Amino acid sequence: MTALDSPPVPAPVAADRSGLGHQALRWTPRLLVLMALAYVVLVRMPNDQTFAPFAQDAAIYGIVGLSLNILLGYTGQLSLGHNGFYGIGAFAAAYSLTVKGVPFGLTFVIAGLAGAVFALIMGVVALRITGLYLALITLVFGLTLEDSLFQVAWLTNEGAGQQANRPEWLFDETRYFYFCLAFLAVALYLDWVLLRSKTGRALLALKENERVAEAFGINVTAFKLLAFVLSGALCGIAGGLFAFRVGLVVGSGFGFALALTFVLMTVVGGLGSRLGVVMGATLFATLDYVLHSTWVHHINGFVFRTDNLDQFAVGFIGALGLILTLVQYPGGIGQQVRPITRWLSGHPFSIHDDKDAGPAAVEGSSVRA
Amino acid sequence: MSSEVLALDLVVPAVNGAIQGSVYGLLGLGIVLLYKSSRIFNFAQAEFGGVAAFVWVFFDTGKWFLPDLPTPLAVVMGVLAGVLVALLTERLVVRPLFNAPKITVVVATAGVLLLLIALEGFTYGGTAGTFPPVFSGDAYSGTAIRITNQGVAIMITLAVLSIAAALFFSRTRTGTAILAVSQEPTATRLVGISVERISSLTWALAGFLAGVAGILLAGTVGLAAPGSITGLALVPAFTAAVFGGVTSLPGALVGGIVIGIIEAEAQTNIPKEHLPGAGKVALFVALLVVLLIRPAGLLGKET
Amino acid sequence: MSVLEVRDLSIRFGGLQALQDVSLEVNEFEVVGLIGPNGAGKTTAFNCITGFYKPDSGSVRYRGQDVTSAPPHVKARMGFGRTFQNVGMVKSATALENLKTAQHAKASYDVASGLLGVGRMWQGEREMTAKAEAILDLLGLAHIRDKRVGGQSYGTLKLLELGCALATDPDILLLDEPTSGMGPDESDELGERLLVLRREFGLTMLVIEHHVPLVLRVCDHVYVLNFGRLLAQGTPPEVQSHPEVIAAYLGGEAPDALAATEEPAQDAAAQAAPHQPEADAVPEAASLPKRRRARTAAGQRDEKGQSA
Repeated sequence: MTALDSPPVPAPVAADRSGLGHQALRWTPRLLVLMALAYVVLVRMPNDQTFAPFAQDAAIYGIVGLSLNILLGYTGQLSLGHNGFYGIGAFAAAYSLTVKGVPFGLTFVIAGLAGAVFALIMGVVALRITGLYLALITLVFGLTLEDSLFQVAWLTNEGAGQQANRPEWLFDETRYFYFCLAFLAVALYLDWVLLRSKTGRALLALKENERVAEAFGINVTAFKLLAFVLSGALCGIAGGLFAFRVGLVVGSGFGFALALTFVLMTVVGGLGSRLGVVMGATLFATLDYVLHSTWVHHINGFVFRTDNLDQFAVGFIGALGLILTLVQYPGGIGQQVRPITRWLSGHPFSIHDDKDAGPAAVEGSSVRA
Repeated sequence: MSSEVLALDLVVPAVNGAIQGSVYGLLGLGIVLLYKSSRIFNFAQAEFGGVAAFVWVFFDTGKWFLPDLPTPLAVVMGVLAGVLVALLTERLVVRPLFNAPKITVVVATAGVLLLLIALEGFTYGGTAGTFPPVFSGDAYSGTAIRITNQGVAIMITLAVLSIAAALFFSRTRTGTAILAVSQEPTATRLVGISVERISSLTWALAGFLAGVAGILLAGTVGLAAPGSITGLALVPAFTAAVFGGVTSLPGALVGGIVIGIIEAEAQTNIPKEHLPGAGKVALFVALLVVLLIRPAGLLGKET
Repeated sequence: MSVLEVRDLSIRFGGLQALQDVSLEVNEFEVVGLIGPNGAGKTTAFNCITGFYKPDSGSVRYRGQDVTSAPPHVKARMGFGRTFQNVGMVKSATALENLKTAQHAKASYDVASGLLGVGRMWQGEREMTAKAEAILDLLGLAHIRDKRVGGQSYGTLKLLELGCALATDPDILLLDEPTSGMGPDESDELGERLLVLRREFGLTMLVIEHHVPLVLRVCDHVYVLNFGRLLAQGTPPEVQSHPEVIAAYLGGEAPDALAATEEPAQDAAAQAAPHQPEADAVPEAASLPKRRRARTAAGQRDEKGQSA
């Protein structure tokens, strides 16, 4: 009735521009690009059996990157000990499956819990020790774990390494990639939700100003610990995925290089940028493969006349990328690809970044003490 | 008899630990200097020494086109390489990040560390090689205790460098200027001291200390691979620096020796079956305890 | 029962006795002013009341309950809303995000459902957005809804900060120099706004303020701090004519603060000159209807004020 009574709503001026034809014109190229990307990432690359393990690494590292981003990007706490949480997750998953006979699915819960518990310990430490000192103590924590806990006889099967065999339906490398990808998708979703919930806002607030956060009724202590627990749990689960990726977990793989790689890929990816972090992780996880399998391989014997390029090129490129990111492009990859992601999400293409808008987390490399 | 064994179990690691700890102290000294001048932790500090050790060996063995220099000259080249790397780090990484948050700079030094390891890898290769001691032979060789000439050299180096540092920072214009900049950068600028020049100098000095430490450590351990100096000495060196609150120069030296002894005692006397990596665990516990109970350092005072 | 009752608050920082036996009381729906020269301990008192500092001695009671040692976030949940002297907000976040952050404690979903992103969370988020937008409209700040807070002018920031304090759903609002960075017109406008807010939200307020016309206009009762001690208290006109207060201001660092409204001493007149327009506020303030005075508490206050 009321609908009949009310005068007809005049069509908005922009109506002809938002017509079906225009919409199609606007979205078709974007959809094509997205589909091409999806084809390469979801079908083409994982079906290459030699590349699939690297793709698995990319997904796993992506989860680690998101985990680190919660601490470093959102909460402003630098942890150099994520190699520890990762290793604990890997051992927890392998040990519970092989020694304790825990069902495969549950091992990830255990890996996550184990990572969370150790992260909580570091979180308690972080309440007293902050800034540079926290970076130092977390670094030492990770290194100590590698040399002590990860060498303990009962955990490591007398040092031979703890087995972690996938169930039969995941033997196929491509399939295991999808399995890892599913975890990454869930992690991305949780991260997305986190930033939109009061928890994410609380973390961003306490990162910038603890006093203000407290005045807003945020329990700073509790949320700092929560950040560590969330980060540790995610990292532990990633460690569990890694355990089943390699099948045999040995203690020596979780050292200094890994700790730094995790920080590098997160910072190079772009702190606070979800997509950037995943891209950074992908870059670092697949760099090895790329260097081995492409033309870069031929530089080897030709220029350097050594066989050492492959082994150290990852660190070299990573370190250069990090320093360049920090000195020249503080937003990381995430910032650099923003014009493209903005275009893909329907905005007109523009190099100019709308700095006024967007969530606070996109702020450059605001690594804070 | 058993008490004798026990005494030896304690004495031997104490001696070896004190010698190795002297190297930690030298590295810790550099860390303290850089903290005082730039308010950052330099995670690449130990690897400056690593670079020095590799360059020393390259010249000592005449690798590639390099001349086969006599040992003392090779050592000088190695130390110079350490200084050069430190200067480049200051110029290309630290100075552009002058206004960045300190944590960012610290992450950047971790990047420098990785870069240096990669460069060592390109040039030396990935497998560990044997490094000769700079000074061969034994100074004392008993039934249980053996003190190498290298060990004596390390202790003497530490003593000489400590005295030199003490004189440098109290008697020379440059030394006092460095300390002044660390406390009052703005005021120092006003009285006409170039903060940039002092910063370069401090890094050069840190590179020098690291270079000496790296060459001595590589020769003592006898083994080296890309990054091995960092693996051996970075954590103890930082622990040593923290012992002095990261502000006290003598604190870092004494801390280094204490840390070296603690590490060696734990490593020797706690069986691997009970606790693998006891040395590292002891370091972690020591660091944690110091940071928790005395963040200003056990021997620290703001100088 | 008074909303806030502070008794004999003392705190010392090293050699400095920042507060010495400060007592004050804020009754329901009152706007109470806290004034004093720079360094008198006003902000320190705020920090003790809101739990950021732990006083050496003395007590803070909120509606009869002893809350002296409650941490700031607990007090915020109880209903203490506060602003900071130099703007307390998340500068890298937008205005809307800040207003939603401020509603943290009042969100209608728990942390667990927030982590999983269940329906209850989105419902709660919609409510918070709606409330944040309502506050933006109320303060006339709708145009900066999605702008980063960092780039805004100081006056806008102070206003938005007030909005954030409101968003915490406070019972008592503690405002630390709400008009700093504002011109005289904006300040007067803010004074009106505070009175409106009191009416609309049933708020009780404790306000640190230098802008004397505003104090005269909106405050029911004023406490004067000097060197960490309570110098005087009373209604604005009483305090204004209090000889010790005049002496403290004329001898202190901010001679213009009271001079603009009081018959100035000869040497202060020159400094007061730029503030001449503000003098208009005096008769205006005097013509305002007499506000409901604190009932029985008033007598006690005077005794305490004299003893302090």
